[in-house]
Amino acid sequence: MRMRPGVRQSALAAHIALSVGWVGAVAAYIALDVVAATSNDVQLLRAGYLAMDLVVRFVIVPLALASLLTGLLMGVGTKWGLFRHYWVLISLLLTVVATAVLLAETRTIGRLAEVAADPAATGDSVRALGTTLVHSIGGMAVLLVILVLNVYKPRGLTRYGRRRATQDV
Amino acid sequence: MDEGTPRWVKVFGIVGVVVVLALVVLLLVGGHGPGRHLPGDGTSRVGPPGAHTAPEHG
Repeated sequence: MRMRPGVRQSALAAHIALSVGWVGAVAAYIALDVVAATSNDVQLLRAGYLAMDLVVRFVIVPLALASLLTGLLMGVGTKWGLFRHYWVLISLLLTVVATAVLLAETRTIGRLAEVAADPAATGDSVRALGTTLVHSIGGMAVLLVILVLNVYKPRGLTRYGRRRATQDV
Repeated sequence: MDEGTPRWVKVFGIVGVVVVLALVVLLLVGGHGPGRHLPGDGTSRVGPPGAHTAPEHG
């Protein structure tokens, strides 16, 4: 089922806005994560962990899910399909993996924020909470790979795509 | 011609397999995985929320 041109352009605009927003939100999160990794100021650390939790729960997760959903719609509703082109298929797989890791990581960040918000938590225990920097930088790298794939759209039909191409002729 | 798998897909596949293997090794040696950063997971010096000693001043 193909989208009409007007609908397709609106869906594409929404998909780009949500996906680029996801990248920007992760960049903001990395700034907080760097503070969590490097600062010894307990008040700053407490604020940082609470902000990380809010940014993840109310910005990054909704953007990730919305980006995945609009990406699926763009695949299903346009000539590209979801499984015909390698760049679409790889983008989809990377997005699903990134979203799954993000959802698992959300629980960890929630626990870190819980400790940071606990008035009974000592300065040493807040300083010992650690960081999610490896995940956030890794996530950013995956998002940038997806972005590059979506801009360049490198050639290459999957086996399914080749079969469909011969059927469509 | 779109015959066969493009080279860039093969490179992607090799890099992907290497990354997955590296993560599996990290999981097996216990240096990574879900919940590894959680307080009270055995790797952290802190306990669960509320299990702390004196409140911080300042």
